[in-house]
Amino acid sequence: MNRLKAFAYFEPAALKEAVEILTRNNGGAFLLAGGTDLLVRMKRGVIRPAVLVNLKRIRDLNGIQGDQESGTRIGALTPIADIENAAVVHQNHPVLAQAAGVLGAPPLRNLATLGGNIGRASPASDMAPSLMVLQARVAVAGTSGQREVEIDGIFKGPGSTILAAGEIMTAFIIPAMTPHTGAAYLKMGRRSGGGDCALAGVAALLTLESGEVGKVRIALSSVGPTTLRARKAEAVLLSGALTDERMQQAARAAADEATPITDMRCSASYRKEIIKVLTYRALQEAARKARGGMTT
Amino acid sequence: MLQNGSPYVGKRVLRVDAPAKVTGNAVYGVDIELPGMLHGAALRSPHPHAKIIAMDTSAALKAPGVRAVVTGRDFPYLFGDMVRDQPFLAIDRVRFVGDPVAAVAAETEAQALEALEKIRVQYEELPAVFDPREAMAEGAPLVHPDFDTYHRNIPASMVPGTNICVTRKFSLGDVEKGFAEADEIFSDTFSAQALSHAAMEPHAAVARYTPLDGCYTVWSASDRPQRLHKELADALGLEHTRVRFIVPYVGGSYGGKNTLRAEAVAVALSRFTHGRPVKVVFSRAESLTATQTRLAAYMQLTTGVKKDGLFTARRAEIVWDNGAYMSNAPGVANRGVLTILGPYRIPNLDLVSRLVYTNQETTGSYRGFGTTQVTWACEVQMDIMAAKLGIDPLAIRLMNAYVEGDAYINGQIMRDVRARETIAAAGREIKLETGSPNPSPTRRRGKGIATMLKSTATPTDSFCTLKVDVDGKVTVFSSSSEIGAGEKTVMAQIAADAVGVPLAAVSVPNPDTAITPYDHGVSSSRTTFHMGNCIHRAGRDMQRRLLEFASGVLAADPSRLTLSDGYILEAGGGRRMTLKDLLAKKFNGKSGAMFSEGHFTPAGNPVLEAREGLKGISSIFWMFATHAVEVEVDTETGVVQVLKVAAAHDIGRAINPTGCEQQIEGSVILGISNTLFEEFKTERGRILNDTFSDYKLATMEDVPGIVSILVEAGPDREALAAAKGIGEPAAAATAPAIANAVYNAVGIRIRDLPITPDKVLAALQQKDNQKGH
Amino acid sequence: MKITVDIIVNGELCREEVEVQTTLLEFLRGTLHLTGTKEGCGLGDCGTCIVLLDGKPVNSCLVLAADAHGREVTTIEGLAEDGRLHPVQQSFIDNGAVQCGFCTPAMILTAKALLENKPDPGEGEIKQALGGILCRCGSYRKILKSVQAAAKEAR
Repeated sequence: MNRLKAFAYFEPAALKEAVEILTRNNGGAFLLAGGTDLLVRMKRGVIRPAVLVNLKRIRDLNGIQGDQESGTRIGALTPIADIENAAVVHQNHPVLAQAAGVLGAPPLRNLATLGGNIGRASPASDMAPSLMVLQARVAVAGTSGQREVEIDGIFKGPGSTILAAGEIMTAFIIPAMTPHTGAAYLKMGRRSGGGDCALAGVAALLTLESGEVGKVRIALSSVGPTTLRARKAEAVLLSGALTDERMQQAARAAADEATPITDMRCSASYRKEIIKVLTYRALQEAARKARGGMTT
Repeated sequence: MLQNGSPYVGKRVLRVDAPAKVTGNAVYGVDIELPGMLHGAALRSPHPHAKIIAMDTSAALKAPGVRAVVTGRDFPYLFGDMVRDQPFLAIDRVRFVGDPVAAVAAETEAQALEALEKIRVQYEELPAVFDPREAMAEGAPLVHPDFDTYHRNIPASMVPGTNICVTRKFSLGDVEKGFAEADEIFSDTFSAQALSHAAMEPHAAVARYTPLDGCYTVWSASDRPQRLHKELADALGLEHTRVRFIVPYVGGSYGGKNTLRAEAVAVALSRFTHGRPVKVVFSRAESLTATQTRLAAYMQLTTGVKKDGLFTARRAEIVWDNGAYMSNAPGVANRGVLTILGPYRIPNLDLVSRLVYTNQETTGSYRGFGTTQVTWACEVQMDIMAAKLGIDPLAIRLMNAYVEGDAYINGQIMRDVRARETIAAAGREIKLETGSPNPSPTRRRGKGIATMLKSTATPTDSFCTLKVDVDGKVTVFSSSSEIGAGEKTVMAQIAADAVGVPLAAVSVPNPDTAITPYDHGVSSSRTTFHMGNCIHRAGRDMQRRLLEFASGVLAADPSRLTLSDGYILEAGGGRRMTLKDLLAKKFNGKSGAMFSEGHFTPAGNPVLEAREGLKGISSIFWMFATHAVEVEVDTETGVVQVLKVAAAHDIGRAINPTGCEQQIEGSVILGISNTLFEEFKTERGRILNDTFSDYKLATMEDVPGIVSILVEAGPDREALAAAKGIGEPAAAATAPAIANAVYNAVGIRIRDLPITPDKVLAALQQKDNQKGH
Repeated sequence: MKITVDIIVNGELCREEVEVQTTLLEFLRGTLHLTGTKEGCGLGDCGTCIVLLDGKPVNSCLVLAADAHGREVTTIEGLAEDGRLHPVQQSFIDNGAVQCGFCTPAMILTAKALLENKPDPGEGEIKQALGGILCRCGSYRKILKSVQAAAKEAR
């Protein structure tokens, strides 16, 4: 069976210490959050970190706070299962709970963290699309202090973020939602249950103002080098009546914008088909929720 | 005679191995720990076909914790039950990506893996073949140019200049005449994919060589320890008694743990570790890519039918992928080609099967032993024909199905035939005649049916020994491994009934070839019938001798005595004494034991009579099964979901109805998984999806409602005479039933497994395009 | 690099010195010789390595032993009390949910944790909770029935 190779190991008690270790190792140190991705890649020999920094001893990186007026703050080390089950999330941003509920399987969700998922920057990330449509910001700590980055700008390419060598994501800040907003995340895996790596995934958010689309954001996973904003699809819907025909048009536009590859999991053309179907269905679900007077 | 009022046979007895398994106390191959044990691992070829030019193991030998480094040159033996073509470790050539070329034994597994990385191998790549249809052409690169030098236990000869290693033909009647008589002729090509058994327990073995006597002991999760220890002994040129196989609990086999895999690496290493045992546990990737898979099959079926639906002729040509080395693929190919006619009367047949070497993972037995692939072809074509002829799928099967007294293709008269009963029962349960309402325009439902037959390897032998201790405990010594299908429980039930003791007094230890006598193996759905009858005989013999002794002790007429539930009973007199007291008397208050033996083989049974020279194809029992399924197809995504399965099985007699349900439900789910989710993605012979992330198995969330219908012989029939097998049939009927249901739902035909969403969507779009939408 | 970990396994404090790269699964099977927890893939895909960490099911092949320091681990060996089976264990036996048994420890532990959280789970909730554990023998329906029976029994 695959065995981990030896590494130097640190369990910093404070963020400052963690930043310092990272900076000192200049890209050679890897962050251990949930381990559900890192340890797998290490066991498969894809990466061979000389240094592992376990973030889980640092206080205040784990936890969910918020309310409907001010929004939600989710610590980067918060397990996905906690996001799936938190009353705060269900109330403020249910689409996040929906996404969390289809990531892997429940025992993996007890380990995997939001920071780990976003930091891995997989184009198939289940959490990135909904964070994107929610216009989340990422709090980042580094040697020069704290900064916030828009989630839209966090991914550089497949498997890489714009974070510098000494930087660590500490929290995700999701702004409060306006009324009459609905969102949904739908994904297609190989099997019935959620758990599979997404062959394609769509998050859609709609805000209705007097029956017209006041805000629309659509994000696609697994069909590009990073999670994609489907801006052309959004443009189809913005500032107009929300009709079935326009949702279908937006779905086709999303499929056109998608730039999937063919890999061992499935073909590019099938992914485009699925993006079209999932975008339409996600928009329908988002519209239902928006009309229902819910906030996201 | 096992009466139908038997306390245990026929009852839903709880699994005797369950308590050990629910408490974590069951020891599997992966759990074995022995004093001084080392850990071994294998280095594997990255190329599908190459010469080994040079190998440098010097750095590995010096690595921390390393106790032995072994290459094919150090251990140049070949093994193979049918053809001895496979080296323990590659000697001068590698023939598939993953072929083991060297092995290391070290104090820890991590040390062994690290040492492997230090071995340097120089290869010279050779042209390779991956598709058996290409590999069978003349001039294709030869995988085994030295085939003729191999020791062969079966009649196998290469077609010169090709990779075809075993050819099997069978003819009946005159197919040309049959086609001439047909009103319609259907010609279709089908394919079934290679599959992994994907047992949850990875392949694992521990081997110990004792230098003093040159003997090997192997702890192996094998489903056929008796034949396997002989296979190993033969390979090493040793007397059979010098090799001992001990079998722990097996974490699933499904036909995949019957040859030397982890065993080969462990044995080769153990030869050089001065008596220290070596444990080899395969990684999941190794189990998926370097053990054994189901044979991929390419099948061409040409069938003639009359317009009323009755068959006149069938020509079938099958090309099977053997992979790089020969496991028991010839048996699979053989069984498959002889059952591609389905459970139907077809008077004129021309069947050809070709087994072809390729540079891919070795193939071999997989639950169903060839029947899963051919049933796919036969039953999908059945529906194609029914649709064209305008005949109901149920009716066309019923009219052609074997009935009691029909002759099989070799002339054997088939008895205990309940094929039609299974067809009718499954169709009734799923309400095949009634359509299913579609939940929405894009979610469409349909129903489909498929039926199959399977034989059991005949004749085979089962031996057993029974021991009764002075305290009244019965021990069954049997080489039938508990691979998860409930073998131990059925054996215990039969022993308890046959001797006349409570079930709790019976124990069935794990096989050990030094102690448990010969059995052909847990395969071919044979164990309940063969080992069951064997144990029954041994048990009855034991009972007879106990009652004889009792008649002396009690001064009673032995014909008036019975032994039941641990009590000696006299007709009209009730309980006379306990078995324990009887035995205390026999051994004068001291310790002691009585032994009896059993042997069962169907050889010589008149029911096997057939036409001249064809008796080898007869079966001691024929299993029939029909699955009817209801599916829902999402026409926008192509996703197929199975909603319900009605599985009707002619099992003869359920020795343990819960056990039967476990096997039926289990193989239905295997069938669903095989049909909808599983396939190997390869690139020049290298399997890309070597994890469970990407070689996907059905989970609990994919499970439909399953109704198991047990079709049995009448109550007058003696249980162990009527009992058939259950392990394999369910695996075969599910795939074509799903395909037929998909056609019923959305009008598309898939002929190549698996039925994946992208295939379904593409077929739907093509159908729409043809309609001019 | 070696570290010392204190892990409470089935109620007993175990203090051991291990290599830092030791996973919780390797700690349980290799260091403590508790082989009831299985390693079916080592990559978090099959679920046979699931144990309860502070009461929650986790894939122990993806947890460093270091991360279990100071925490409570329950393995299958810790369920029966003095020979008395836990109701879920008994239910698995009674309802024919065990075939080869390799996935059984993980299924039982995860079901136990589910019922402690949700004493009356619906079929969908049970399927989702156990959806991360593969059973190749296909005992899913009887496992589902066992969990439902155990839940009913407890009420």
